[in-house]
Amino acid sequence: MMYFMFLFGFFFVFWMVGVSCQPSPYYGVLSLVLGAASGCAVLVIMGGSFVSLVLFLIYLGGMLVLFAYSTALVAESGHIGWNYWESAFYVVIYVLCIVFAGVYYYWAWSVEGFGCATVDGDGPFTIRFDFSGVSWFYCFGSMMFVIVGWGLLLTLFVVLALVHGLSRGVVRAI
Amino acid sequence: MTPYTNMIIIPSLIMGPLLTISSNHWILAWTGLEISTLAVIPLMAQQHHPRAIEAAIKYFLIQAAASTLILFSSITNAWTLGQWDIMQMSNTVSCTILTTALAIKLGLAPFHFWLPEVLQGTTTMMAMILTTWQKLAPLSLLVMTAQSLNTPLLLMLGLTSTIIGGWGGLNQTQLRKIMAFSSIAHLGWMITILTLSIKLMLITFYIYIIMTMTMFTMMKLLETNKISTTMMSWTKLPTMNTMMMLTLMSLAGLPPLTGFMPKWLILQELTKQNMIIIATMLALSSLLSLFFYLRISYYSTITLPPNPINFSKQWRHKINQKPYLAMLTTLSITLMPITPALMTTT
Repeated sequence: MMYFMFLFGFFFVFWMVGVSCQPSPYYGVLSLVLGAASGCAVLVIMGGSFVSLVLFLIYLGGMLVLFAYSTALVAESGHIGWNYWESAFYVVIYVLCIVFAGVYYYWAWSVEGFGCATVDGDGPFTIRFDFSGVSWFYCFGSMMFVIVGWGLLLTLFVVLALVHGLSRGVVRAI
Repeated sequence: MTPYTNMIIIPSLIMGPLLTISSNHWILAWTGLEISTLAVIPLMAQQHHPRAIEAAIKYFLIQAAASTLILFSSITNAWTLGQWDIMQMSNTVSCTILTTALAIKLGLAPFHFWLPEVLQGTTTMMAMILTTWQKLAPLSLLVMTAQSLNTPLLLMLGLTSTIIGGWGGLNQTQLRKIMAFSSIAHLGWMITILTLSIKLMLITFYIYIIMTMTMFTMMKLLETNKISTTMMSWTKLPTMNTMMMLTLMSLAGLPPLTGFMPKWLILQELTKQNMIIIATMLALSSLLSLFFYLRISYYSTITLPPNPINFSKQWRHKINQKPYLAMLTTLSITLMPITPALMTTT
């Protein structure tokens, strides 16, 4: 089981490197989706199955799609060619930074260094904590719920305000 | 922007730092930081020309990366200690990463490179919001975690910031970039005194906000953004011209104006703690800032450009008043005698 977490964790880092090492951000969209899906898989393995499901459905399937469409509408078709050596250079530097940060920060080469990584409960009912955590969201965490919902509404309005004005949009690849 | 968008964005801009200030859980603090970053982006990019969009993108990238570092440091702290309380942050690696992240957010040297360009790309009023209101949330996090932070790191950040704020502003002719370097230098003074005396850091911050708001409001009223156009400011608002010189000297920290008070108290506190070399270097680096403040006041107030003898004031097409400017100017010039009363406020 730990092997799966390591595998999906590796995929997450791999696709995220693929997102950033592109000459234009529009080429990294598929990488972004696959990386976020790998992140959801890591969450499932760690015990947050409900959280992962909500992340996949609402963020990837709702908000990401909305933002990607509004960006694609205002983007100009300034076609930039994909240079192999430039992207390879980015990938090498990025991976070096990740390795350096990982070695410095965790000092753990093996998977066993992470310790207990799931959020299951103990006891006869063995319910995953994140279901009960979601119910806490509605009673004890009601104010945080409102604030987080406001944050999402704000993100929507910010994106719409930024891409307002289709023909004179400047959010484009210059 | 449409009224509907404004109705969401302006309350979020007000609410973001307030959430961070009033939080004792790291997730709420991070949420407040993200809300304030998101809310200011469309305000910066409102005019939709490439300079403003570039400034908005740079600001967003820097602030988002710093927020990510804050999130990572708080999660690492929660992983090792099991609790999310801001005031009990004991993991040293988390504290170091948090200090770096907040230095990036504030624009302290050596993470200051974005601040002059972002301030230059936005309007005068947005630059004022960026340098005053947006500094509330990161500084409140620094105040809350001050007892666990690494003092030598903060001293080095502060010293580098004052030196770079002084030297970097010397070659600038654009007023917004000069105010950016002034912000870097003042934040350097604040960070230096943070672990020694939180009260002095807060006093410096409040006085810095007052002086910076005064300067930006004057820039807005005179409709100038460079030193060359401030040369004609005596024809627009002569009284305000004089006050601009006094405000600039207050920013530079000359007695008996208000800006001298935090510098004096900070140097006194550093001397009491036997940090004489740092105190000397701070005082000497503020001389560099004094030079460019003096240059602006030289070209705006002290000298007159060549003009005919009976040169009068400019035609007024509209009455452009800011009613709060009088209060801000008075505060930024005359607060020194009531220093003991101010020491009790924080």
